[in-house]
Amino acid sequence: MLFDSDEVSAIVVDLGSHTCKAGYAGEDAPKAVFPSVVGSIDGMEIDDADNANMNSGSTPDSKSKGKSKFYVGSQDLGYRRDHMEVLSPMKDGVVVDWDMVENIWDHALRKCLLIDPKEHPMLFAESCSNSQQQREKTAEIMFEKYQVPALFLAKNAVLTSFASGRATSLVVDCGGGSTTVAPVQDGYVLQKAVSTSPIGGDFLSDCLLKSLESKGLPIKPRYAFKRKEVRPGEFQIVDLDLPNTTESYKLYSQRVIVSDIKECVCRAPDTPYDDTSYSNIPMTPYELPDGQTIEIGADRFKIPDILFNPSLALTIPGMENSIETTSSAHGLPQMVIESISKCDVDIRRELYSSILLSGGTASMQQLKERLEKDLLEESPQAARVKVLASGNATERRFSVWIGGSILASLGSFQQMWFSKSEFEEHGASYIQRKCP
Amino acid sequence: MDAKDILGLPKNTLPMQEKKSKPPKESQRKPDGISREVYALTGGLAPLMPTIDANHLKRKVQTENEKITWQWLPFSNSARKDNLQLYHWVRVVNSVPPTGDYSFAKYNKSIDVIKYTDEEYEKHLTDHAWTKEETDQLFDLCERFDLRFVVIADRFPSSKTVEELKDRYYSVSRAILTARASSPGDVSGHPLVKEPYNLSQETERKRALSLLLSHTKQQERKDVEVIAHAKRITEARKAIKASQEPPVAALSESGPVNADKDDMAADTAAPSTNPQFPSANPVSETATAVASLRMLRVYLRTYALDQMVQAVSSSAGLRTIKRVEQTLQDLGVNLKPKVPTKAVCAEHLELRKEILTLLNLQKQLQYKEAEGSSLRDGSYTETPGTPPKHSQRAADLDRTFTPESLQIGGERFVKREQKRKGPGRSLDAPSSPAQSKRPRKYNASDL
Repeated sequence: MLFDSDEVSAIVVDLGSHTCKAGYAGEDAPKAVFPSVVGSIDGMEIDDADNANMNSGSTPDSKSKGKSKFYVGSQDLGYRRDHMEVLSPMKDGVVVDWDMVENIWDHALRKCLLIDPKEHPMLFAESCSNSQQQREKTAEIMFEKYQVPALFLAKNAVLTSFASGRATSLVVDCGGGSTTVAPVQDGYVLQKAVSTSPIGGDFLSDCLLKSLESKGLPIKPRYAFKRKEVRPGEFQIVDLDLPNTTESYKLYSQRVIVSDIKECVCRAPDTPYDDTSYSNIPMTPYELPDGQTIEIGADRFKIPDILFNPSLALTIPGMENSIETTSSAHGLPQMVIESISKCDVDIRRELYSSILLSGGTASMQQLKERLEKDLLEESPQAARVKVLASGNATERRFSVWIGGSILASLGSFQQMWFSKSEFEEHGASYIQRKCP
Repeated sequence: MDAKDILGLPKNTLPMQEKKSKPPKESQRKPDGISREVYALTGGLAPLMPTIDANHLKRKVQTENEKITWQWLPFSNSARKDNLQLYHWVRVVNSVPPTGDYSFAKYNKSIDVIKYTDEEYEKHLTDHAWTKEETDQLFDLCERFDLRFVVIADRFPSSKTVEELKDRYYSVSRAILTARASSPGDVSGHPLVKEPYNLSQETERKRALSLLLSHTKQQERKDVEVIAHAKRITEARKAIKASQEPPVAALSESGPVNADKDDMAADTAAPSTNPQFPSANPVSETATAVASLRMLRVYLRTYALDQMVQAVSSSAGLRTIKRVEQTLQDLGVNLKPKVPTKAVCAEHLELRKEILTLLNLQKQLQYKEAEGSSLRDGSYTETPGTPPKHSQRAADLDRTFTPESLQIGGERFVKREQKRKGPGRSLDAPSSPAQSKRPRKYNASDL
């Protein structure tokens, strides 16, 4: 037996608000990574002719006629379909539409990983504020529909903590839909000290999109144009008019492009952003898919600073309607200090010295340094502040999944599974006891 | 290497070369046209790295006799309460699957939390701050979370602090232990009974720690600034007080004036701090000059007393000092006066001097008598003038009694007396240097 690990071929699934990650336990990266939104065509508008024209390799996960047809996966979503709405099953980090979630799981398990759920125990990562009802529903679906032999639900923060080899730490998860700060003590999340903020990667992308539009640089989604070869080697852009495309699909496609801009160009500023000092920043060029090159200057630093100062978002024209989200949100350093102050005094020092960064948004450049600097200002003298993040950007994005992979392959974890027989004997509410 | 172990194959360099052929490829290219594996079959490229690992030379020989397969078999885990069977890879030797429990089951340790019955609860454990349901919940959580009180406090439905939970848990456990024990002696060694949980102390400690941790860096910086500022002020004041210091020092030398209050602490203050005190005092004391002067006087009196005592005893020698002190104790007098007023100190010094004189006289008397007795018995160097001189001297001794002279000269004289062997030579005792103040009567009688 090597290294306390014992492979039981468990599957680890992490359904985040932006991407869904799934793969085998024991591996160091998930095999299936795809956006956790579904394209749905309302049942009324299903046309059999449309079925025939669909891309190969995407057999529909359709239910009986009259219900919506769902398309999951970046390949399916990348193909534009008339009247296809892009919907997210999650709102504020909790699942609201279980049909969609089932489709996503189907896609992950059957299409991407090609497994039969009956043979593999499943480890699910859930958000720290998941309610008891949600967990019971997950257990019901898994045991009754998929017939898994064993199940476990672990909190995101705990898995991130395990991925870095610590049992006690403060996890700052900057994800797509929200940012969560959760302290983990000895492998258990301290629920009363968790603080969340709706400012996430998606929010930042929206800000960037609005900002670029207000500057007169509209982002054309990929489906909206075609390149026509006018002369050999030279291309001309022809706009396509596709009236049946839904708004949500357009927004989704634009978001894909803008997220790419954000990941390439944006950097966290070293000092809090203000318009005057950053007005003379040299511009960075970026080439859009349609060939247009845009210059991005102050937005490079303004957008990431929204994480630290949410009220900055209100200065972007077009984002005024987000006042209810930004007014309640606190900046990242304040959330960290708030969370630690709610914990017991004895563990505060340990939490300060092991602050972990995880999530896609955390791979932003200079974010770790800026957070450390801000925290050193606000934190007590007696505590030593240390922000840790793995150097590899892929590891930061998948740290929750990696933690799950580690946990599910440990020999001493095998006694903790919530098995089917226990489910049948005690019911779904027993999960509260088994998965603390 | 691992693949070879799994397959149980004998070692050869073939699979190794497949792995290593890529780096050698850069330096020695295989001939084009044939595939890499085919070329390797012919002997091919020499690997750049050694293929024999030292570990493998230690492999067990038995692998060649047995048939090893790896099978995907179910296993049961004794640490589980149900009979879930998961599958894992098992190394099967000669088609005999290994027996025994799951090897990780032994790591399933838990803390045994005391369980009480309802009657025990009614009898011993009722408390006004805790209902039975809450106590039950607490114990249930303690068992689930293995006494991790921080987590238990987090999951506890009503908001009680960690200290309250700990207090309740430990007091309940103690009560149950003592109630169940047949005699108090049995459990007195148990750690729960021996060291009870101190709720107030813990709360106080945590409050202090939280205060410490709530000083932010900005506050620390402000504190540092304030301290630096205060230091500047005190130094400025010191410069001002330095000009006032000479009058203060003169006052102390002129002699202590009666002070109103007596400081017991002053008595115990070490003399070594005193030289610094007169200079530090004006600076650190914000009281009026009169008060500080008063304190100065108190300190100085004992200081002066010590100095005088030292002066007295410096000429007396260690043994004599001890004798003086012994006498003082015999008389029931403290070695240092308890109440160092001027009159008391003066009397004390007088007493010391008189005792010293007494002791010296006693010694002198002893020696004179010894001399006299030896001379009467017959001496080697007989001088006619000596006996009368002796008696004369003794008479002189009786008459000419001055404390100072004895103080200074007598001791020296006695000392030399002790050193000399013969009585005759004692009269020669030069003892000239200290005799300056001594009356010349003794010398005159010398030979």
